[in-house]
Amino acid sequence: MTAAPGSRTPTSRTAYAVAALALLAFLAVPLVGITNNAIRLLLTTFLWVTTSLAWNLLGGVTGQVSFGFAVFYGLGAYTAGLSINGGVNPYAAIAAGGAVAAFGSLLIGLPTFRLRGPYFAIATIGVNEAVRIVMSNLEITGGASGLRLLQAGRFSQAEHYYAALGVAALAFLVSWRVMHSTFGLALRAIREDQDAAADVGVHPFRCKLAVHALAACLTGLAGGVFAHYSAYIHPDGVFAFATSTSILLMPVIGGLGTLSGPVIGAAVYSIVQEEMVVNFPQFHLLLYGALLILIMLFEPGGLAGLWRRLARRLRGRNAADPGAGIAAQQQPTGGGS
Amino acid sequence: MTDLLSVEGLTRHFGGIAAVVNLHFRVKEGEIFGIIGPNGAGKTTAFSMIAGSLVPTVGSIRFRDREIGGWPSQRVVHLGICRTHQIPRPFTGMTVYENVEVGMRYGGRRTPPRGSIADEIERILEFTGLSGWGARPAGSLPTGNRKRLELARALATDPVVLLCDEICGGLNPTETADILSLLRRLRDGGITILYIEHDMRAVMRTCDRIMVLNYGEKLAEGTPEEIQDDEGVIEAYLGRRSWMGRAEPIEERP
Repeated sequence: MTAAPGSRTPTSRTAYAVAALALLAFLAVPLVGITNNAIRLLLTTFLWVTTSLAWNLLGGVTGQVSFGFAVFYGLGAYTAGLSINGGVNPYAAIAAGGAVAAFGSLLIGLPTFRLRGPYFAIATIGVNEAVRIVMSNLEITGGASGLRLLQAGRFSQAEHYYAALGVAALAFLVSWRVMHSTFGLALRAIREDQDAAADVGVHPFRCKLAVHALAACLTGLAGGVFAHYSAYIHPDGVFAFATSTSILLMPVIGGLGTLSGPVIGAAVYSIVQEEMVVNFPQFHLLLYGALLILIMLFEPGGLAGLWRRLARRLRGRNAADPGAGIAAQQQPTGGGS
Repeated sequence: MTDLLSVEGLTRHFGGIAAVVNLHFRVKEGEIFGIIGPNGAGKTTAFSMIAGSLVPTVGSIRFRDREIGGWPSQRVVHLGICRTHQIPRPFTGMTVYENVEVGMRYGGRRTPPRGSIADEIERILEFTGLSGWGARPAGSLPTGNRKRLELARALATDPVVLLCDEICGGLNPTETADILSLLRRLRDGGITILYIEHDMRAVMRTCDRIMVLNYGEKLAEGTPEEIQDDEGVIEAYLGRRSWMGRAEPIEERP
């Protein structure tokens, strides 16, 4: 590791190239004639990649664990759905979904960011449930029976595929920018020690609100694309607590606070989900639970951390791991007397 | 010399416990002002109120004729008041360089010019004896260097007043001497320093003036010589043993 100023790593150019190649490959996918089912799987994966990256900005980079991201996914989905039914252009409707989710995040963040650590996490569970119940009973959203979207024109799977790829690419780009910015530096400082960060001039409350809004917007966009694609949404789907935990699980499995981790986590989750749900419904929850425990015990850096460790082992280097998982490095910090 | 910081009637209760009671003192520009006292005397509590980590129950803290009592720390630091912690609180998952960078980018009174940040950080790391450690994760530093990092991160905010909370605690005599010489150099460079310390020799050698706290109240204030001769301090805080003039530091009561 060189004494590189700032947070640029020597591998960032390689990572850039890999990301660009992956994007090109995914752009070409619908043209080479793979099955519709495979395209659908990729599409879902992109949506999860988006929410996973978004959650990672707040939960991984800033260290604020939220169990309430289904709220933003749902707000995005419902805003897009209602707008599309009202005759708005689908893409404008999806964008509106992102905006409404970001606005909602401010309303949620203003009270809940006064709380810390586990108390914040618990508050977000409460918010999630409250919003789900309200949405199940609202007249305008169609209540518990859900909302059917009016479809203008012929259904084109490729179009939805590209929309999902677009939001995933956007989430990736935004995450990359944030994590290499001065703002990202403040977010990481808040994760490590909020009070010490405030002592040297970081405004924790403002920073948390800002990153929450950013993450909510990306999640809302994913929700909007999902609503447009599936043409039917209901509160127990998009607003479900299980959706929140899924959004949280993916970056944790993949590796918190990194760029590749949430992407890997979402991909693994989507593929496992696909296989398990068909063959052993319910069993996949057991698998995630076991995976989560194993990761927390043995590799807090997630799959990305495991990969780094393996790569280092293969290269035969045994240097101390500077990038080992965040959770491993979080030590209890004592306050002054 | 003018008063830079003046504290009047500062009081802080924790439930039924009065940690700091009706504290008055003034700090002059360019001095090292020591605060000593037994454990639990309220030193850190007083510090935390000045630094904005704690809101005073009653009382006023004036910095250059501006009332700052109750301001949050991220606001106080922009006036030029920055603290270090008794138990170092580095951002353990970030590199030493990044730790200092946070202070520089967010704590400064003005935005540093582009391109000069890396040089400034290097300069601070060198000053605090951390050059060569920049790329190391802060969590891997030994105690002595964690203390240095506390100082480096605070210095990055370009402070007018530096609040050092037991920055020599747990250090060996060589490390202590190094840190003390840094503090003197900072003072000579125009930074006013408030300094909490348990190590008597360190305090007596370094401070221009000293305030003694006991049970949250001020017991005495003066130059090191005056404090050493103060009957009240000797009796109430240091005990009756004839300890002055001894080479080794006083043992703290547990």
